[in-house]
Amino acid sequence: METTTDLKALAREWVERGRSLAGEGVELEIFVQEHRGLTVKAFGGEVEGLRYSHSRGAGVRALRGGRLGYSYCTGLAWEDIRKAIEEAAANSRFSTPDEHNLLPGRGEYTGEDLGIYDPEVEETDSARKVEMALELEGLAMASDKRISQVETAVYADTVSRVAVANTAGAAGYYRSSDCYCYVFPIAREGDEYQTGFSFDLGVRPSQLDLATVAADASERAVCLLGSSSITSRRTTLILDSFVTAEFLGMLASALSAEAVLKGRSFLAGKVGETVANPMVTLVDDGLLKGAPSTAPFDDEGVPSRRKELIEAGVLRGYLHNTYTASRSGTDSTGNASRGSFRDRPRVGATNMFLLPGKGCRADILRQVGDGVLVLQVVGAHAGANPVSGEISLGALGLLVENGQPVRPLREITLAGKALDFLRDTVAVGEDLRFLPFEGSLGAPTVAIGGVMIAGRG
Amino acid sequence: MIEEAVARSVIAEALSRGGDFADLFVEKRRGYNLRLEEGKVEENNSGSETGAGVRVLRGESVSYAYTNDISEDSLLETARVAAAASRVEESVSIDLEKPLLFLPRLEEHPVELDAEAYPREEKIELLRRADGAARESGPHVVQVVVALGDSRQELFVANSRGEMVSDSRARVRLIVQVVAAAGGEIQTGHETPGMLSGYELFRLFPPEEAGRLAAAQALTMLEARPAPSGPMAVVIANGTGGVLFHEACGHSLEADAVYKKASVFMDKLGHKVASPLLSAYDDATLTNRWGSFSYDDEGVRASRTPLIEGGVLRNFINDRKRSMRDGVPATGNGRRQSYRFVPVPRMTNTYIEAGTAKKEEIIADTRLGLYARKLGGGEVNPVTGDFIFAVTEGYMIRDGEVAEAVKGATLIGNGPRVLADIDAIADDLDFDTGMCGKDGQSVPVCTGQPTLRVREMVVGGTTEVM
Repeated sequence: METTTDLKALAREWVERGRSLAGEGVELEIFVQEHRGLTVKAFGGEVEGLRYSHSRGAGVRALRGGRLGYSYCTGLAWEDIRKAIEEAAANSRFSTPDEHNLLPGRGEYTGEDLGIYDPEVEETDSARKVEMALELEGLAMASDKRISQVETAVYADTVSRVAVANTAGAAGYYRSSDCYCYVFPIAREGDEYQTGFSFDLGVRPSQLDLATVAADASERAVCLLGSSSITSRRTTLILDSFVTAEFLGMLASALSAEAVLKGRSFLAGKVGETVANPMVTLVDDGLLKGAPSTAPFDDEGVPSRRKELIEAGVLRGYLHNTYTASRSGTDSTGNASRGSFRDRPRVGATNMFLLPGKGCRADILRQVGDGVLVLQVVGAHAGANPVSGEISLGALGLLVENGQPVRPLREITLAGKALDFLRDTVAVGEDLRFLPFEGSLGAPTVAIGGVMIAGRG
Repeated sequence: MIEEAVARSVIAEALSRGGDFADLFVEKRRGYNLRLEEGKVEENNSGSETGAGVRVLRGESVSYAYTNDISEDSLLETARVAAAASRVEESVSIDLEKPLLFLPRLEEHPVELDAEAYPREEKIELLRRADGAARESGPHVVQVVVALGDSRQELFVANSRGEMVSDSRARVRLIVQVVAAAGGEIQTGHETPGMLSGYELFRLFPPEEAGRLAAAQALTMLEARPAPSGPMAVVIANGTGGVLFHEACGHSLEADAVYKKASVFMDKLGHKVASPLLSAYDDATLTNRWGSFSYDDEGVRASRTPLIEGGVLRNFINDRKRSMRDGVPATGNGRRQSYRFVPVPRMTNTYIEAGTAKKEEIIADTRLGLYARKLGGGEVNPVTGDFIFAVTEGYMIRDGEVAEAVKGATLIGNGPRVLADIDAIADDLDFDTGMCGKDGQSVPVCTGQPTLRVREMVVGGTTEVM
């Protein structure tokens, strides 16, 4: 297999050669992706698993008078690409025409260093990365005597190279590095077990703060020991940033113009309306320096940018790719997103975050007085429905009285409507933290008033 | 797909720095996906993928490397990368002088209407039939999405025990999602027939039926009242309800979770863990079922594994590593999403066996409770067994009869406690298809169960019980 030293030139060349192959009136886009990575899993003081990955592939989008056909392949020889181009062109004959199926033209990409690649990832040898996973596990084990074991401790990194080119003139290339580590310690007391979780991420291995990750994960497990349920009640919820991020994931789905256009969003038709408390400002920024989903352009070659989706409680707009923008009579927001080269571009958030407010978690607990601090939610994908906006989730957390956590809670559920959660937000903290959930979601501690909690007690 | 001599030299290379076991997995996969939305064919995607992975096992440690290039040079290089992960060099006692031998190729899951030969036009017609039936179900149906996917996977496995296996798996699945809206209320319904087969799937499961069922669910829930909160009896319907056993118990029966002591069942083999009424199996040999295969992704023969019989825990499900390390027979549950992943113990078709009661009797015998007709996704803490499930179609049971539909209900409980609290099992075992996620890998599975009743469970809702 030839080495793909210049992916952008290759993609351009394939588009040119494909133009004549696909025939008159067919527009083409080629998206090429290559990943190299290492994942180390530690367990019981040993390396449980080591995985070296090297994968590459290309996706071809063909548009024939608004009819969309797609194909992909893992070989990057012209023979493979040629077959994929022919298949995409053939598939397009069987799709329904849609005038909004368009390819973006040439875009001006930022020349600034976005801080998304650091050679340290490739310069650090595997032995050091193995040590990091083992060290993370050891730190978590040693962090508290109630930590009985660590379910898994992981160090992982990937270097990605992405190129896109199309017959409308767009052409771009970037590379990025991602490193992350995470750990799941298990705390035990008597017959009771609780799992904790924490992680860190960055563009180079030396950025990862193993000690903080271990301590945070361990604390999250230990603090839940001795938990029980409570009686059903209406109360104020204080959402940990991990939990807030789960709700932001639901918002990201509902803010996709694709969901809006298809009637699958509880936020449809609400632009210009007040949908949240004025302390809520939600931003999506594809150019945020050093952030996990930052890139000069999106997955169809449209320049990335920053936009406010909810500004001081008012819904300003949705996330768009070229297709949804054309259908809505607006411009793409640079939010074309695809799972991999195997998929056509859809719509997705880049780095989406709640603008931080004032106060740390302790300040917010004091402000709230009595409530429930939610540390983990379960059933997030079943119980937080971006179509209806209905929320019904299992939760673990701490009962808060007079601004202090007093006892751990389990077997409780929280329920309500997302719009009520947004409007009933009573505090947004300053402790913004990015989580690599469904892209990259940034969330601080948030408090929401008057939420129904069900329990067994 | 790969010459015997090549496979043997790749395995020798993988073991060149020591190890207890090594294998080579190679696959070629072709897939086709169609999506009809708003009555338009807006996705028409086909592709092919080739890849190989080399694995070395040493004690509890696994090293793995993969590539998209399956030329001999590339496979040898991939084997060297996997071998280099060994931190200690040691001599190998595995004999790789003898040729590798093929295990018999089995054709247990016949394919009648091969996906690749099935015309694109007819595939689109299937989508339109499901779409039409859903839309005709009522004026409140506002959105219908129909997706059709077919795939053919050719796989080859060779290992240091001298075995080679090749197999071919064809799968077809239809997904119908319906959104219904009225009076500011939005509800969804879905249906997902699928099989390890060709397009004869639609003779057994006509697309119209999938469309109608998905629409009926969404329309019913439109009329639903908010679900009550609190403990009550729960009758879980056959078919889709099996996801509860899969999530809340099945994952804890996977031998890697048990080894890591991340399972509520870890010390319970041979012990009573459930109501004596309950028996449950994992069975990859069921002909043409969505979660079936002849050999697993490590080349181990598929089997039917008793998990619980008469309430007593019989077996865990394992992969090659856990079978070797724990000294127990392999159950043929080593599965992976693709060449990019290391195989781990996974369920296949997992189900609770049929009982003798009648569904009508169970409901008639319930004074006040919830009838969970369809469950959505859920989450489980495997260490504690605590779970939560969304009830996507639910009804109250009042005085022995199914009463009004309720929305927004969740089931909250604990796996082992629910197993012990099952007090009635009907004779109407049915299956549902799903994609099961674990360790970032997704594999096709069936979940199955007859209608059954749990004496008491916490229902999470938004109102008080009335």
